[in-house]
Amino acid sequence: MKEEPPDDARVPVFRTWPRIYAAVALSALFVMALLALFARWPY
Amino acid sequence: MTPLDWAVLGVYLVAIVGFGLWMGRGNKRIDDFFLADRKMQWWAAGLSVMATQISAITFVGTTGQAYTHGMSFLVFYFGLPFAMIVLCTTLVPFFYRARVYTAYQYLEQRFDSRTRTLTSLLFLLSRGMSVGVTLYAPSVVLSVILGWSETSTILLMGGSTIAYVVYGGNKSVMWTDVVQMAIIWLGIFVCVAVAVAQLPAGFGLRDSLAVAALTDHLEIMDTSWDLRKPYTLWSGLIGGLFLALGYFGCDQSQVQRYLSGRSLTESRLSLLFNAFLKVPMQFLILLTGVLVFVFYHFHAPPLVWNAAEMRKLEAGAPAGELARTRSRFEAAHRARQIAAQRYARERRQEGAEEARQSYLAAQRDLVAAQADAARMLQTINQGKAVTDTNYIFPSYVVSKLPGGLAGLVIAVIFAAAMSTLSGEFNSLATASMVDFYQRFVKTSAGDAHYLWVSRVFTAFWGVFACGIALQAGRLGSAIEVVNRFGSYFYGSILGVFALAVLTPRATARGAFYGLWSGMTTVFLVSRFTSVAFLWYNVVGAATVFVAGLIVSALQHAGPPSRPSDPRTTAPASA
Repeated sequence: MKEEPPDDARVPVFRTWPRIYAAVALSALFVMALLALFARWPY
Repeated sequence: MTPLDWAVLGVYLVAIVGFGLWMGRGNKRIDDFFLADRKMQWWAAGLSVMATQISAITFVGTTGQAYTHGMSFLVFYFGLPFAMIVLCTTLVPFFYRARVYTAYQYLEQRFDSRTRTLTSLLFLLSRGMSVGVTLYAPSVVLSVILGWSETSTILLMGGSTIAYVVYGGNKSVMWTDVVQMAIIWLGIFVCVAVAVAQLPAGFGLRDSLAVAALTDHLEIMDTSWDLRKPYTLWSGLIGGLFLALGYFGCDQSQVQRYLSGRSLTESRLSLLFNAFLKVPMQFLILLTGVLVFVFYHFHAPPLVWNAAEMRKLEAGAPAGELARTRSRFEAAHRARQIAAQRYARERRQEGAEEARQSYLAAQRDLVAAQADAARMLQTINQGKAVTDTNYIFPSYVVSKLPGGLAGLVIAVIFAAAMSTLSGEFNSLATASMVDFYQRFVKTSAGDAHYLWVSRVFTAFWGVFACGIALQAGRLGSAIEVVNRFGSYFYGSILGVFALAVLTPRATARGAFYGLWSGMTTVFLVSRFTSVAFLWYNVVGAATVFVAGLIVSALQHAGPPSRPSDPRTTAPASA
């Protein structure tokens, strides 16, 4: 029987999972805002 | 294509097959063959997840869509980052801790055998069909370039992928995915850079975007709530969220990629890696299509992009009518070019509105001439409509890119196709082997036997995909065909997984009948309403969840159907 790897390996950079999820969600919203700006920019 | 282009393409094909065979050596157990011995790092698993999702259709279809309709398709990916977060907090830990090979195995642990079997069968049906379409798209590219039959190109593409997946299994799949993803990123940057560099002197990127905006080619954020429109902000955020949840959470071709992570953390990070990169990458691909659209303001586009159909048109259409259409098309193109340059010069001056109107009139005339040609072709083809979108980008690549770069971009299209195909062959074989053969046919055999059968299944699915691909040519816009296949089932399967992890009171019977009611509802919605296909996922998932809960509640005024297992069920307070 193989030993199961630990589930709680260190989370890089952000240290906790809620923080990394918040960073992903905020970056997604930021990208969408940039795209809205791109679509409406008066070139 | 120059000899240098052929050399680039040839080197890619030989090298990737050789690399796949080399990386896949040493398989002894099905853990090696199906899950790369669960030793993949997050970045490799993440690139593999990304490569499996990007098919050749992404390049051939979406650049064509951007050329004809603009960038509105981008909203399709808006729900993806949020789906990744939901999956990392829900399904991924359950899958990982249950130590499963397939997502559907988990459903037997949580519910019962028939729920597992039905969902796995649905995966085999929908993925088995769509993998054929995935294989068909690059054959379009090769048939345009080489003048080969689609049959030969399908067999070349399918055969080379089958070779290394049959031998190396998931290790080959994932490590070739990593290389292919690097090539794809390189190709995307090359395409954007070349498209910008090819703009005429005095007509810059800002001018191009200003002209593209005139025909709403840059429109991304359509905020209307019209459920019949395929790509609105809301269909992307809500429908796209459910589609991504279904695809990444319940489709074995993706689940298998991140289950190969060496820890739960690595598996989660591989998905979050995609959450960061997917939308920007798709934006660059669509931007390429828009820039190609602007490029053809200054170079003569063909009346019909598909060269074979153009030959048919020249041979079968009334000569006078075709000549009139052609001269109208050429005149409209010249007028559009002049109007575009004028608008670029005068867009901040008083004459801008007049320049805009003359540009739009020329564009309408050009589109009308193309529509006339399409109608003539439809008559020649005895009423069968011709979809030209998928031929735009490959035609541009082979006729307008400089020596060597055309070969590179064609290699990118190959890489995109092969990375998707390889993952799908491997996952179809895994579901066939683990959910059916190992479950019902031979429940206890040695590693060598299971490994051999796994290779046979892989070869079978490869050959099956080739067979479907040979029939896919008349199915319409390839990109939508693939996504439609998924949309009929993904939402309903997602509903079953939601029942599994979100509520401990859901019973096996509730899940099973909920699944049937979800699929029936999606069928009825698709058959009798004009609701856009992205919403099917929401309808399917919601119906299964609600129906499943009702059946479960009716079933047990008594206890749950089996004891609660903390590895497979959310706590009652969840």
